Amino acid sequence: MHFLYFDPGLGAMIIQAIIAAVAGVVLFSKNVMYKIKLFLGLQKEDKDDVFDDIEIKDSDVENKN
Amino acid sequence: MQLKTAHSSSFRDPSGYIFIENNSIKRVINPVYFNQYDALKTSGFFDNLIKNKLLISHKEISRTANEIIIEPEQIPFITYPYEWSFNMYKEAALLTLKLQKYSLEHGFSLKDASAFNVTFHKGKAVFIDTLSFDFYKENTPWRAYKQFITHFLGPLLLASYHGAHQLKLLRNFIDGVPVKMVSTMLPSKTKLSPLLYTNIHLLAKLEDKHSEDYEGKTKTASLSKKGQLNIVKSLYEFIKKLELKEASEWGNYYNKTNYTDVAFKTKDIVINDWISKIKPSSLIDIGGNDGTFVRQINYDYKEALVCDIDNNAVDFNYKTTKLNKDQKMLPFVLDVLNPSAAIGLNSTERASFLQRIAAYAPDVTLALAVIHHMSLSGNVPFKESAKFFASFSKYLIIEFPKRNDSWVQRLLKSKADFEDYFGFYTIENFEMAYSELFNIKEKIHIKDAERTMYLLEIKNLNFENRA
Repeated sequence: MHFLYFDPGLGAMIIQAIIAAVAGVVLFSKNVMYKIKLFLGLQKEDKDDVFDDIEIKDSDVENKN
Repeated sequence: MQLKTAHSSSFRDPSGYIFIENNSIKRVINPVYFNQYDALKTSGFFDNLIKNKLLISHKEISRTANEIIIEPEQIPFITYPYEWSFNMYKEAALLTLKLQKYSLEHGFSLKDASAFNVTFHKGKAVFIDTLSFDFYKENTPWRAYKQFITHFLGPLLLASYHGAHQLKLLRNFIDGVPVKMVSTMLPSKTKLSPLLYTNIHLLAKLEDKHSEDYEGKTKTASLSKKGQLNIVKSLYEFIKKLELKEASEWGNYYNKTNYTDVAFKTKDIVINDWISKIKPSSLIDIGGNDGTFVRQINYDYKEALVCDIDNNAVDFNYKTTKLNKDQKMLPFVLDVLNPSAAIGLNSTERASFLQRIAAYAPDVTLALAVIHHMSLSGNVPFKESAKFFASFSKYLIIEFPKRNDSWVQRLLKSKADFEDYFGFYTIENFEMAYSELFNIKEKIHIKDAERTMYLLEIKNLNFENRA
């Protein structure tokens, strides 16, 4: 069931397929570049002091389901 | 069917609403959301997010066929998006994306991505709208995508290119900054970035085109889960690297002041002495810069709000707080001369700063090196600044820089011919005006500096002067 209690924007719904395709290419190329740079020693492994990455750890409770 | 009086901010989502009972925020869940709620509860989805401190915790307190009532952990002071520094705003955006990715991977999706669903508590951003998660329907696009762009990406981009003041735009656009506006305000070189071109400029164009479609004839597109995850991940990586273009001039503020080491130390000792007598559980430092002085306090208070007009100083404070894993400090941006107003529906949806701080009622207010800025830069009469400080705390620790102070002299010089008008700025006038509303408990001159510290206690008589 969906509650459309605010306007999601029709254009915004349609465009997401295009954005996703572009995002896929961007993510892929960034990843390739990162690996090349890492291999050539141009870049050190990412270490971020303030913000962590997007992953959320699954707790044990979660895995049992 | 609504039996309780819903809080004035809680009317948008039919899944439920919040209300206040015995000074405590509670949340009603309507039957229309029971399935989602049960699924989120039994699958361990809620538990895991709460354990990771990404979602505010709650406990179920009653359940009938008509409503479930939950009581979330109470957050004493809510800050709004237009009071966050750049990196606070960034953290809120990243939190929202993180939750959307996690939701997708577990069969759910965020049905809204409002910046007001996030606030800061115990040193980090936390999601406070427990009912924002809905079931994910295969191959549907993200309904909250546009909201994410207008609430988060748009303001962050504008801030990045035009300065942190842009983050205050949500004060005017409570439903998000229009994409078209963001698109026209960004430099044209951003059209060369595939990510910005698609997420901002193309989106603005398409929104424009489809706003004419009143009959709803256009088919909605489908989008694979992988595709949606790509959007979320690419936005996450982009926002994580986003920086302010304006160089932070901030840094060594305390080296730029006219304080000698001895005077700084004296001030520190005086404040610590008074604080240990007052034994506050909460305090607010108005004009607290990067929180330096609050960090000098040895007394074990529960929470300290530290606000400043300078986004960079607040940002620096926030980063320090994060690195120290400090859970007691809550930094935010505040312009004393124009504190956040009440906005939204009936002007009651989001409370003003003065309403929130009066309800919070910090035990003591610190106003160090701020009165000369209010009086001389802002032309605020002592009577009016006293009224402001008398509206929320019982005690006020205020520092008065005398006329001979170098900062005061500088401010006065900048007034040129108008300088005579500021003849009122004397310690006698200050004491007279403040004595109307406060009792002077203690008064100490700081050696080596043209400054005097006051400990004031509010006169009960005048507590009705609350704003």
